[in-house]
Amino acid sequence: MTVLRDYASEVGQPTRPREREGPPDAAPARYDEVVDADGSLRPAWRTLAASALEITDVQLRRVQRDIGRFLGDDGVTYRRPGEPGSRWRLDPLPLVLSAQDWAPLEVGLAQRAELLNALLADLHGPRSVLAQGVVPPAVVYAHQGFLRVAARPGTVDDRPLLLTATDVARTPAGDWVVVADRTQAPSGLGYAMENRHVISRVLPQMYRDAGLHQVGPFLQAVRSTLMQAAPEHVDDPRVVVLTPGSASETAFDQAHLASSLGFPLVQGSDLVVRSGAVWMRVFGRLERVDVILRRVDAPWCDPLELRGDSQLGVPGLLEAVRRGSVRIVNGLGSGVLENPALLPYMARLCEHLLDEPLRLPSVPTSWLGDPDALALARERWDELAVRSIDRSVDVDRLGPAELLARVQAEPHRFAAQELPAWSQAPRLAGGAVRPQSVALRTFTLRYGSSYRPMLGGLASVLDGARSVSSKDVWVLKDTPDQPDQGLAEVLAVTSSSSVTPLVPRVLEDLFWFGRYAERAEDTLRLVLVAHALAEDFRARPYSAGGVALRVLRGALLHQVPGPYDAGDGESVDADLRSVLLDVERSASVAHSFAALRGAAEGVRDQLSVDVFRAFGATERAAALLDANDHSLQVTESAERMLTGLLALHGATASMVHDEGWETLEAGRALERCLQVVALLRRTVTVRRGIDVDRHLHQGVLTATESAITHRRRYRGFVRVTSLVELLLADPANPRSLRFNLETLRRHVAALPASTGASRPERLLDDLVDEVDRTHVAELVPIEGESRPNLERHLDSLTIHLLRVAEAFAGTHLATAPTPRAFGLSGRGTR
Amino acid sequence: MRLDVTHRTTYTYDDDVTGSYGIAYLTPRDLPWQRVVAHQVDVDPEPLDRSTDVDHYGNTATYFQLDTPHRTLDVVAHSVVEIDEPVLDPVALGVPWEQARPSVRPDVPDAWSALDLALASPSVDQPAAAHAYAATSLTPGRPLGEAVLEVMHRVHADFAYEQGATTVTSTIADVLEARAGVCQDFAQLTLSCLRSHGLAVRYVSGYLATEPPPGKERVVGADATHAWAAVWVPGGGWLALDPTNDQPGNERYVTVAWGREYSDVPPLKGVIFTEAKTSTLAVAVDVVPV
Repeated sequence: MTVLRDYASEVGQPTRPREREGPPDAAPARYDEVVDADGSLRPAWRTLAASALEITDVQLRRVQRDIGRFLGDDGVTYRRPGEPGSRWRLDPLPLVLSAQDWAPLEVGLAQRAELLNALLADLHGPRSVLAQGVVPPAVVYAHQGFLRVAARPGTVDDRPLLLTATDVARTPAGDWVVVADRTQAPSGLGYAMENRHVISRVLPQMYRDAGLHQVGPFLQAVRSTLMQAAPEHVDDPRVVVLTPGSASETAFDQAHLASSLGFPLVQGSDLVVRSGAVWMRVFGRLERVDVILRRVDAPWCDPLELRGDSQLGVPGLLEAVRRGSVRIVNGLGSGVLENPALLPYMARLCEHLLDEPLRLPSVPTSWLGDPDALALARERWDELAVRSIDRSVDVDRLGPAELLARVQAEPHRFAAQELPAWSQAPRLAGGAVRPQSVALRTFTLRYGSSYRPMLGGLASVLDGARSVSSKDVWVLKDTPDQPDQGLAEVLAVTSSSSVTPLVPRVLEDLFWFGRYAERAEDTLRLVLVAHALAEDFRARPYSAGGVALRVLRGALLHQVPGPYDAGDGESVDADLRSVLLDVERSASVAHSFAALRGAAEGVRDQLSVDVFRAFGATERAAALLDANDHSLQVTESAERMLTGLLALHGATASMVHDEGWETLEAGRALERCLQVVALLRRTVTVRRGIDVDRHLHQGVLTATESAITHRRRYRGFVRVTSLVELLLADPANPRSLRFNLETLRRHVAALPASTGASRPERLLDDLVDEVDRTHVAELVPIEGESRPNLERHLDSLTIHLLRVAEAFAGTHLATAPTPRAFGLSGRGTR
Repeated sequence: MRLDVTHRTTYTYDDDVTGSYGIAYLTPRDLPWQRVVAHQVDVDPEPLDRSTDVDHYGNTATYFQLDTPHRTLDVVAHSVVEIDEPVLDPVALGVPWEQARPSVRPDVPDAWSALDLALASPSVDQPAAAHAYAATSLTPGRPLGEAVLEVMHRVHADFAYEQGATTVTSTIADVLEARAGVCQDFAQLTLSCLRSHGLAVRYVSGYLATEPPPGKERVVGADATHAWAAVWVPGGGWLALDPTNDQPGNERYVTVAWGREYSDVPPLKGVIFTEAKTSTLAVAVDVVPV
């Protein structure tokens, strides 16, 4: 049997799944998105090709594994507030809607966006809906999203809403109802596009045959709308996406949307208000910004006039908005519409503002500030969900008695909602396909003079109220010749035309990206050498190889500080595993990868997806090591991680060679200099006898990828002189200090702040001179067991390199100081 | 009465400030009982950019941005204002206080907007203790004027004027606990008490002329910024109450701005970019009858 037939026969049984909360015979059945009441497939699924209907559970589980891999490769994450980031989840079976299913939504959503826009313009302007009692004034005045600084007579924007989201669901009768509106900075479009991207790759046949609306043209329309949102008389408008940063719960969504639209992703500290306009800091220049697609909630957008403690905003932003020199999408203050207490008044509002009946009903909701509504709600209290009108009270954390007390003290701050049984769709979980309830986030765009819903969306698979997975949403075409999204004439997105600006914060992330990548690589090479020695000598700690192993582990420990037990052979593997896997251990490979990833997340829009694919490979290698405790797995996983890193270098090598790339490569070269000096300092500055040194020198050459060069150049006989020469002074060895100083010098010189005489350049010139002046023969003489000249030289090089790093950061990565309040006057006086 | 007001605010920093953004509420309002004859605000160093705008409550807000590195910021407002003695309709003040709640007076044209000022605001919440404190005076059916004036008298009598007893982050509950505060605290406490019973009350920021009339005692609040409360009177305007000085508003009160609370209309606030560790603030106000 195939999955869908199994599902149809199960759902079609008389014992179909019922509403979980209520008694089985009293609760209403759910509407099933795939199977109708008679147990046959719904029209949307009937029109899908045989490939969809014949899919087996074995195939579906394979598809699910592929999805996991793709999402891992693309680095798709979602972070719940207060929890670590987790993998984005996507169910293999899409939510498929026929043109007939979709039709009522399309007209309903377009009208709703029009209505919400009119409502916001009214609330920020004449407030006729309050003055005439269409909505009780407290519904709006008590809502924290009503920004009085945005509701001023002089700043009325007649189209404050350009891109809205509305969450809808289906009742047991199959009718769509609105659950909530997301108007301030709706998330999910980036996830929806990623879902489509992944599903189109894992179910290519089904996807091709379905005849569904592509989402690409909608995205192009979004881009076009944002460009046209610029203040008048701007020929080539600059649009940016404002993010709270990579720690945001929907950081992926923001970055993915920004890069898909071809607009730079910026943070508040990248922007500055000057002369009443918004500017972006790009290499010490200021470039004008015309449109801001914001993903920062309004209270955090301007520390001057909104939350004074915000580090995410731009002081003066509201003033720039008031002057009309920048447009923010959606307008500041649009959060006032995210209010369940507005839902009971939507029909009246629609008549009042648009002079037409409301097409799309809302889930039955009442505002508890109305004494009659409160009394009615109290009668069936346990059947209703109580919501804070502005999410300022976390009702989920309150016990029933506490919640009731809060409601009775301030009823106007709460709304009560019915909890209908939403429709269900098949979900693959735990190897089986089971019905589970779904809700749909829709997106609506102002395009030209009207609103257009996206034909598609983001479906959530719900467990109670919590979203546990997502689904791609397929809206099928009525006829094959229908244009995608009904948009035939929209211009293609030309992402190549947008030159991504390199603000100091982005450069800093790229610099550290280069450094962490190199640090991880060098550590991995050292782990591989140590592990190879351990395989041969772990049982013989006092043999020459055993002593060399101990020295190399000492070098590793110096680079990656942590617990170290040189005596016990067993502990070698444990320690190397810790160096690879322990993310808490400073400078461990896992730590470097995490930091690398953090840096990459901050500049996601600058990097190709291949970078994130490389992360996926290294994560899988780490998981493999974690799951297998045999010793060989250390080398195998380290090699795979190294392969992943080399792929990463390949991906960055094919970046455009702009200032960002120069900065990344500068970071990499600088780290390589530091690493080679540190390795020499911990290994060859002491003489340990010819047999130990033979193992040790070979290990150093292998770890620095210089063994072959050395053999070719010095005919295999490894002496300290030749080794030091090759790794410090050789201008042709890509692993040598001298070579990397030259590389660093080249990248530094290419940066705009370099003058030829800037501090980092002068320090680098001095350092190169020092290396060139030094004769290796003078470094290697021995006093007792050590080589004091070499020790001194290497210590001096380290200090000098750290000074270069500091000067580089000061010159090229300088960010603005953070804003702070200058205090409030007039306090403490009478 | 004609008053000449000079209000100087000076910030001094121990290092250069390289960017400064400010918002000032220093421009007195034109009102039926108050006329602004002359007004100007000077900022030193000279701002790169400045503008004025009318805010949500009809106050004039001045915005400025300056990027001249500086260690001293000087903002001087100079105003000449003519004020009439307030005339309040005794009939309107005589309504039972319950009938002065905007939520039950949809018949009054401005009730819907007054309702904004009957709700809790970010730093003026309505703890049960504030509700109970006012309940003693707001007995059923009592005339509005009488009831709210008694609340004002009691706040004056029960709370000590004491600088340092509270800070800018003190809550209403803190003030109730400390039984002490400054004029902003008393004004906001009065707001909380009266609003918790459904009355609409403004926070008013301004000045008080303290030149004592002949033969009268000198009034507390000499030459400073001042704050008080004003209660909505259905069909009869707003009744100003100054719990700090235990008197209703009169022609010696200069109204600059009003809102839900202090943070809506601070005389001056701003954001700076600097490496400075410390800053000091000096405020000097002169209110001279002319």
